[in-house]
Amino acid sequence: MTGTPAGTSAARIGMVLGTEDVMPTVFWFAVSAGASVQLDDLVVVETLRPDGRPVRFYGLVDNVRKRHEGVTFESDVEDVVAGILPASVSYAARVLVTRVDPENFIPPQPGDTVRHARGDDLNMALSADKMGQASFPGGLLADGQPLPLNFRFVNGESGGHINISGISGVATKTSYALFLLHSIFRSGVMDRVAQESGGRMAGSSGGRAIIFNVKGEDLLFLDKPNRKVADKESEAGVSKGFAGDRYALLGLPMTPFRDTQFLAPPRPGAPGSAIVPHTDQRSEGITPFIFTLREFCAGRLLQYVFSDAGSSLNLGFVIGNIEEKLFRLAGAQQSKGTGLMVEDWQVDLSESPPEDLEFGDLGGVNLRTFDQLISYVEFKLLEDRDGEGDPKWVLKQAPGTLRAFTRRLRGVQKHLTPLIRGDLTEAEAARYRPNLLSGAQLSVVDIHNLSGPAQMFVVGVLLRQVFDHKEKYGRQDTVFVVLDELNKYAPRDDGSPIKDILLEIAERGRSLGIILIGAQQTASEVERRIVSNAAIRVVGRLDLAEAERPEYRFLPQSFRARAGILQPGTMLVSQPDVPNPVLVNYPFPAWATRGDEVDDLGGRDVVEVGDDWLR
Amino acid sequence: MRIRLDPWPVDTQDGQLTLKPFAGLVFNAETEYWAATAPRDIPARLSKILVVDGKPRMEARLLLDDEAGGLSLAGFGAFVAGAVDLCPHGSRQAALLEVAAQRVLAYSDEGGAAVQVTRLSPRNPHTGRLEYTPHVFSGSGLEGAKSKVQRLMLDAEAALSHKLASALPLDEHDPNALPDTLVLQDGPVRIGGAGRAVLGYVKTLHTDYLGADRIGLLGTLKPGERTPVLRFRVGDQGDAQGSEGREQRFTWYVRLCDPPFYQHPLAGVVRLEMHAPEDSDFVPRGVLDIANLSGRLLCKLASAPHKDARAPQNLIPTAALEQAMGRAMGSAELVTRRIRSHLARELGQGAVA
Repeated sequence: MTGTPAGTSAARIGMVLGTEDVMPTVFWFAVSAGASVQLDDLVVVETLRPDGRPVRFYGLVDNVRKRHEGVTFESDVEDVVAGILPASVSYAARVLVTRVDPENFIPPQPGDTVRHARGDDLNMALSADKMGQASFPGGLLADGQPLPLNFRFVNGESGGHINISGISGVATKTSYALFLLHSIFRSGVMDRVAQESGGRMAGSSGGRAIIFNVKGEDLLFLDKPNRKVADKESEAGVSKGFAGDRYALLGLPMTPFRDTQFLAPPRPGAPGSAIVPHTDQRSEGITPFIFTLREFCAGRLLQYVFSDAGSSLNLGFVIGNIEEKLFRLAGAQQSKGTGLMVEDWQVDLSESPPEDLEFGDLGGVNLRTFDQLISYVEFKLLEDRDGEGDPKWVLKQAPGTLRAFTRRLRGVQKHLTPLIRGDLTEAEAARYRPNLLSGAQLSVVDIHNLSGPAQMFVVGVLLRQVFDHKEKYGRQDTVFVVLDELNKYAPRDDGSPIKDILLEIAERGRSLGIILIGAQQTASEVERRIVSNAAIRVVGRLDLAEAERPEYRFLPQSFRARAGILQPGTMLVSQPDVPNPVLVNYPFPAWATRGDEVDDLGGRDVVEVGDDWLR
Repeated sequence: MRIRLDPWPVDTQDGQLTLKPFAGLVFNAETEYWAATAPRDIPARLSKILVVDGKPRMEARLLLDDEAGGLSLAGFGAFVAGAVDLCPHGSRQAALLEVAAQRVLAYSDEGGAAVQVTRLSPRNPHTGRLEYTPHVFSGSGLEGAKSKVQRLMLDAEAALSHKLASALPLDEHDPNALPDTLVLQDGPVRIGGAGRAVLGYVKTLHTDYLGADRIGLLGTLKPGERTPVLRFRVGDQGDAQGSEGREQRFTWYVRLCDPPFYQHPLAGVVRLEMHAPEDSDFVPRGVLDIANLSGRLLCKLASAPHKDARAPQNLIPTAALEQAMGRAMGSAELVTRRIRSHLARELGQGAVA
């Protein structure tokens, strides 16, 4: 037994009640006069077996109540307060047991002493002793002690994936995901685990994170210090009664992310115009990303254009077929470049050929835009051979299906044209190719300015590339993928290619070293297997109706009720080592989340900086 | 014919109203003018009201017969006397005082069988002390043990009242006569407690001290109002010799609530009683002060019908005290079972059968 001997550390705060059922998993205790017990307090009870051996119960207070004792009627409170009815106040707390040591599931004895869990007892209560070197801070408990999370349940060794639920705005899902990344990268847990593994893992030098920025430009300033953080943290320290700022309590540096890169789609414009990132608040340090037309075909990316491919069997067949044809087309290219040279497009037979076609030396056409590619596909399917199409492309599909296919392609043409280009040089293509796994440690991919289909396309393609890469190279370097709005990317009811990838990541990613830190407003509307594969589940403020759905059954009833009143910055965290969720708060971001939060003074006085400018 | 409900539940020992005329003499003590007196405010100096009550219980009865055919009686019982300490101005929380049970093994002094009290009484398994203190009662009546327990309870109650009550100067004009502590005793005041601020509180009206010409006033009292103070001699049977030397009492009536139309017009009326000094023809200032504040005080402590079957007479602190006393005596079933198992173990099957 690793706990301290009973009663040496903390004072008695109560006794196990005999008037409520005492069970090995849940019991009530009467709080002693003068003691204060609140929700989420961690407590320890020691009971003796008949043979004299002690059994210790570690648990978490999930309910506290006071009531008048010895009176019958509710209106008796008036008489009690008026001083004519003698009554005493009973103050009791319910404990959900998180651990029994040794594992003798006998009930504690009514009258057993209850104490706050501190020191070693706390570690036992939160199973930190089992985690060893693999623990990293996941936030602060109510009394300012860090909550240990087990990294082996994050990096895929024993389990993987993190799932965060909560309504938008107040649940602060993305902030918590970033805090976890900060904690993983900067607490040194990756290095410790790598060391323990004897060099089979690369530690934090090999860890990478990809964050998709889906809303606003919140995540484009992760590398800049936040000028409010010092004030906010000293405020929080005072109001919560902590000894210092929360970063210090967690043992984490109060600094922004290091080694970052920011990717954004190019601003839409005429073909051949300058390529600038499509962002509003920040322009420096952001790399635009573009896919070339040739990559589009060679990488079989066509499927990610259609988010509803599963809706029709025939359509799926056509997509697969065209994808194959385009793949072969790309493979057959002789010249260098990013466009596609096609020999068999009789432009004069097309109904409305694009105007700016570039003809090759031998009569071929050099496709340089997504629009031209679609026109070419239309020609092959619907216009060739007097409207019958090229039989190898049509493959006896009904014209209606083919038209549905081209119509859909036309539908997304506007959105994808800036992203898929064939007019770049090889050097340009290399420069703008999204480079998530060999660039910086933390890559932020901004897709908030993209339309829905384009977002789906980018996320699908990038995740596929990561997945393919990891399939090839194995799990040594863990890649964390942060993706909000799983409701949209992996809905429970519809199928889509991006959902297939997310499912693959959820089910196989753990063994490949791809860890999904997913977030959604409503877990009930996300594919069940994605949520259920997450080892660590986090809940912020929830809609109360949502909280009653079966996806949240891992929360005990009292926690579900509380999920409706959680404040920003407070989360319920459930991890496999601890059978009950734990409420934590986490510090204000040390990185800027908006342009105006950036601390551009570098710690100096405003006047001083102003003087510098004037000089 | 008029039909009215007795206000009290049928399972209480007596109805509230069984008015038998008082045989002796009742004098006007306060005034000759027989009319309702309005309640007055409780003076600030009265800061402590102690509601005293007791509760007896029989736990087992024993019939002992020896080989010679001698028969004897004994009984296991328990009683509590306790108090509620409260402030009439509501300045602090009410608290229970001295609510602790005592257990009694009462046995008859007659009858052939010798009672081995030390063998009969279970002992506390922790301390080894006798749980039941032996007490002897005289006579061989079946109810002897029960009345012994009742007697002990009343004594304990009187002793507690006496201990808690402050002295009451029986002076006619002393403006500071009202003490800061007043004991509210359940039932009539006890013999021998004179000179102390103890107010007896009689819930059931068995005896009519007023007579036909005066009792009409009770029906017209408004809640909180009282009758003038009267004086009588305890046990006065109307014949001069029998009552000579007995204690005197002051008494008055207070209405706690208006009676519902289906109840007797005297429902909601209580009789209050205090010790009266010998041969005095005046009401001491302290008694008068207490009579004046009694209406306000009792209306404040009166219970509501949906909470107490004997409302409003059964006061809120009294009901709480009764409940606490019942709890202090423990579960009757459990106690009886423990007595049974003790006797079986101690005396063997032959002795018990």
